[in-house]
Amino acid sequence: MLLDIEKHVTPEHSRSHLRFPFRLERPAAKLNIRFSYTPKVLEEDAVARRLMEISIERYIEPERQKAALENLERYLPLQNLITVSVDDADGYRGACHRHDPAQQLYLSENGASPGLIGGRIGVGDWAVTLSVHSVVTESCACRLEVWVSGEEGFE
Amino acid sequence: MKWVASELHTHTAHSDGKQTLPELARGAKKLGYDCIALTDHNTMSGLADKEAVERETGLAILPGMEWTTFYGHMVTVGLRAFVDWRQAEPDNIRAGLTEIHRHGGVAGLAHPFRIGSPACTGCYWEFEVEDWNEFDYIEVWSTTFAPIRPDNRRAYALWTDRLNAGDRIAATSGRDWHEQKATDDPLSVTYLGIEDEQAPLAEQALLALRAGRVAVTLGPLLTLEIRSGATGRTYGIGAVVPAAADEGVSASCTALVSLQFSVREGLWELPPQSYRLAIWSNKGVVAERRIEATDDATYSLDIDAGDTTWTRAELWGVVKGIYTLIAFTNAIYFA
Ligand SMILES: [Zn+2]
Ligand SMILES: [Zn+2]
Repeated sequence: MLLDIEKHVTPEHSRSHLRFPFRLERPAAKLNIRFSYTPKVLEEDAVARRLMEISIERYIEPERQKAALENLERYLPLQNLITVSVDDADGYRGACHRHDPAQQLYLSENGASPGLIGGRIGVGDWAVTLSVHSVVTESCACRLEVWVSGEEGFE
Repeated sequence: MKWVASELHTHTAHSDGKQTLPELARGAKKLGYDCIALTDHNTMSGLADKEAVERETGLAILPGMEWTTFYGHMVTVGLRAFVDWRQAEPDNIRAGLTEIHRHGGVAGLAHPFRIGSPACTGCYWEFEVEDWNEFDYIEVWSTTFAPIRPDNRRAYALWTDRLNAGDRIAATSGRDWHEQKATDDPLSVTYLGIEDEQAPLAEQALLALRAGRVAVTLGPLLTLEIRSGATGRTYGIGAVVPAAADEGVSASCTALVSLQFSVREGLWELPPQSYRLAIWSNKGVVAERRIEATDDATYSLDIDAGDTTWTRAELWGVVKGIYTLIAFTNAIYFA
């Protein structure tokens, strides 16, 4: 296992990147990433409404705020959003900007999960970045595992 | 000038879309588009089979990426290399923009007034902007039946404010198209003005976007030319009418408005009506007339171009029972 990380994030982590570097000492056939976070949804209705009231005041024009507050349900439920991106020693290897709270991803010489870029799983410094777009729950538990399978040319 | 029907804001399963690139391209072709930009969130991996899909559909596909940052979404098109969106902070979007341009790309604000955090973190534009001229465009019409949406009206007003402030910046539409789902809503089309029809379309489309040779509509193609009384020459959308030495002569101009109802035939409809055609400038509405006919035609309107810094045409009318802006051209500037 190259990375096995458990990290609790809170609303204070919103709008920040968490970068997890690791080093690959030998080329591999496939790099595997398992990422999950929980909870996905903010269940407390009153909290969600309060957050949306603040948001409406901030982002909606004054004359439309009343109507927006009356239709506040359309924004619910509020959700946490954390996305994955990958870098190898030579640069960016893509991102998976989607809402799934559990993702099993891979990169290999000839392919990769949608969003990631296939190609050599080469020696050097790699990193997985978790982009914490939004944490609306009091706390959110993230798990990130990274491992390789197969030597280059095998599997 | 050939005007190419384009859709500049799309997603596939390589980000959060529910479609493949071939599905997207076939869907676009069916709706009468000749050019799309694939602008997945923070990745360009969906472009791996671009050439094959272009061959299959005949569509030009522009490489793009939507910078999906915490402080704003910015659509980028035409880049030859990746520029790291993760460096974006509220006060440094200018650095990213410089890099995007350095790698041959153009950039525009995506849906700048869509509600932001926590419903959609980054969807509302919160970056500090020092110089609006450095942005190539503002996506003023987002999603479907765009002109009636309050957040798009704000974006359109922002664009007008920037033109009034003397900035030269284009305005586009983008469906933010995530899946092949039928809709009864009117769809927007961004027409890009192609100068060289022999050159590769994707390349020419990018030049048009950069130069602001852009017209946006829910149906008929509305374009504009200004014939200058001073020079006797005609200037198209995105161009600059030069200043004349003699003030008296320069003030008299003719707006030549072309309206083509025959574009994308059968793919959109508007009820029979009397449309309102208006010529706008920094001075407000400077000329207007009614349009009854739906034949393809060019209309001449005399305008007084004194103290004018920019001008554009707008077509207004009733769509699905709502009186709304139907089409607008990008600006022609005055030196
Ligand atoms: Zn967006
Ligand atoms: Zn988008």
